[in-house]
Amino acid sequence: MLSQHSSVLVVDDESALRKALRTSLTASGFDVEEARSGEEALGTVQQHQFDLVLLDVSMPGMSGIDACRRIRGISPQAGIVMVTVRDQEDDKVRALEAGADDYVTKPFKLRELTARLRAVLRRTRMSETVEPVVLRAGNLEMDLHERILRRNGEEIHLSPKEFDLLAFMMKNAGAPLTHVKLLRTVWGVEYGNELEYLRSYVRMLRKKIETDPSNPEYILTEPWLGYRFRDPSDPDTPRESAQDD
Amino acid sequence: MRHGQFHGFAKSARYALIGSITAILLAAICFRVHLDFASVIPLYLLLVVFQSLTGDFRSSAVVAFASTACLDLFFTEPLFSLRIDHPLNALALAGFILTSLVITRLVARVREEARSAKLQKDRLNRLYQLAQQLLGLDPEAPLGEDFLEPFRRLFGIKAVCIFEADSAELHLVGDSRELAVKTRDAYIRGLDLDDVNARVSVRRLQTSGQLAGAIGFEGLQDSAESAGALTALTVALLERKIAFHTASAAAAAAQTEIYRSAMLDALAHEFKTPLATILAAVGGLREAGPLAAEQETLADTVEDEASRLGTLTSRLLRTARLDNEHIRPRLEPVDVASVVAPVIRQYSARSSDRTILLTGGLESAHVSADPELVRLMVSQLIENACKYSRPGSVVTLSIERKDDFVSIKVSNNGSSIPRNEQKRIFERFYRGEDAKRSTSGSGLGLYVARKIALAHGGALDLETEEQGDRVTFCLKLPTTKDEFKHALTA
Repeated sequence: MLSQHSSVLVVDDESALRKALRTSLTASGFDVEEARSGEEALGTVQQHQFDLVLLDVSMPGMSGIDACRRIRGISPQAGIVMVTVRDQEDDKVRALEAGADDYVTKPFKLRELTARLRAVLRRTRMSETVEPVVLRAGNLEMDLHERILRRNGEEIHLSPKEFDLLAFMMKNAGAPLTHVKLLRTVWGVEYGNELEYLRSYVRMLRKKIETDPSNPEYILTEPWLGYRFRDPSDPDTPRESAQDD
Repeated sequence: MRHGQFHGFAKSARYALIGSITAILLAAICFRVHLDFASVIPLYLLLVVFQSLTGDFRSSAVVAFASTACLDLFFTEPLFSLRIDHPLNALALAGFILTSLVITRLVARVREEARSAKLQKDRLNRLYQLAQQLLGLDPEAPLGEDFLEPFRRLFGIKAVCIFEADSAELHLVGDSRELAVKTRDAYIRGLDLDDVNARVSVRRLQTSGQLAGAIGFEGLQDSAESAGALTALTVALLERKIAFHTASAAAAAAQTEIYRSAMLDALAHEFKTPLATILAAVGGLREAGPLAAEQETLADTVEDEASRLGTLTSRLLRTARLDNEHIRPRLEPVDVASVVAPVIRQYSARSSDRTILLTGGLESAHVSADPELVRLMVSQLIENACKYSRPGSVVTLSIERKDDFVSIKVSNNGSSIPRNEQKRIFERFYRGEDAKRSTSGSGLGLYVARKIALAHGGALDLETEEQGDRVTFCLKLPTTKDEFKHALTA
């Protein structure tokens, strides 16, 4: 398994939570180190390399967002998962903009956390290898060279923008993608507020690739944040996002 | 009053007597030194002017007639007789008396105006001082003795009394039980009162068109005019007191909201971290070693319940935030079916005791709405339906498309809302009598759900049925506008 002996740095100011996470993540096959604050985490990251950092957003002293930005600077290859407590989109967007790969919202089940950690780990490792020419997810197959999308072997016509949008989503399968990030990547850096564009393109893509567009299995909505592309064959990305309503 | 009139007459008579004696003396002296009629007239005019400057109009008029008589007796032919032979002399005397009276009248009027201006200035000055002293008082203190004392001191009033309708308190400064009774009486009758004999004036106090009390004065000079001014001042201060009270109540309410918000944030954090710890620990327990079947079941229970507590905390927090804030929905074209379907799945999985049934199929119906907020409203309605219906009952949901609206109806059997509570269930923090007894809740859910519906230009209503134990809530949302339709079909 990918997670075997992957190293995780758990950064949280609550000692009880750190202790529970250390025991549980160790039992799940991770090597766990702890840090009590953002400052301590920076020191630890400078000395050791970690595959993953689990970082609490709200801590006394240096905020989780600041710590995330600095850790990203020191250790670009580490996967960072933020722990947010306020279920508001602002924290999540800020965390992703600061370089986090994903987030979990407190309180989370251990299985949910380990799934997120494994998915992030897989993505960071994949990005180190050469980008594949053909992307696959469920019964979709996308040839990036030929710019062709096939569903169950049948070609589906996509406009150039639709293709770019879906290609970017499939390359980042499993990762949360903010509206702004999608707009800037697919439409250009001068975009960012044109949510209507994005929504109508997503709506059209869903019509073309989903069996039931009102109950999508590929392009999932992350409420108030953006979208997440799901590979149905990946058990680590559940269909219903782990939202507490 | 009669005493005053008599006093006035005596004073006028005294002045008239002195003036008349002076006129006779002047006649004697002038006669002695052989001054003629033409030379004497200016001297008498001077006397009349002097008289009008010192005395009042009545005495001056008497002196004018006395002077004319002296002129006739001593300086016109035939002497020592009131008869006048020469018509020119008669004309001169007539001119004299006319001029004297006109001068007297004019001077008297000027003096009267000067006196009244001085009085006016004096009253204004006292009013100003009074206002200054009253403004120095604590604006929120009750209008008691401290408030009334300056009235008495500055206006030399015998007694002053105020009745405040709000507190129904009566305050009196000075010794007059009669005034207290009259003041309260004027308030009850809603009429002003002027008792000239007792020198009592009572005025109603009206703030923003409402009768707020009455104020009574005893022994006030020029009571008709002064009472009006003093009442106006009292009303202004009463209004200031009300304004201060309103402002401080609003400030207190705002402060409470800030505390509430901060408390909720802190609670959310304080609750969620231990919950995360419990979940991490129970997950670790499972990972650490194979658990026996019953241990596995118990671990599942701990995990599920801790998650549920987390969800409840989040929901409470979000509802409380929405309650507190102006809701600004991020409108987008939303297919109601795509929002409702996951909620039904979620609640079906969660409440195994109740069946959640979608009647009429999941036809797509587009509205312009904030999908997250719609999800929140639908969740709230389904949750209420589950909560207030008996275990084993069926909760039904239907989506209907009308011209301008899409209605989402959620009904449950096995409970009813009493008629007197039907109107109130959407009120903030209101909880029905049965609800209070049978289940827990914040009393915010329906209030916030309706607030969200209204912010969308929609509505949330209770559909009442005359008979049976069935409760139906109908959520209406406006259908997608044309510009969105364009985006949908593009």
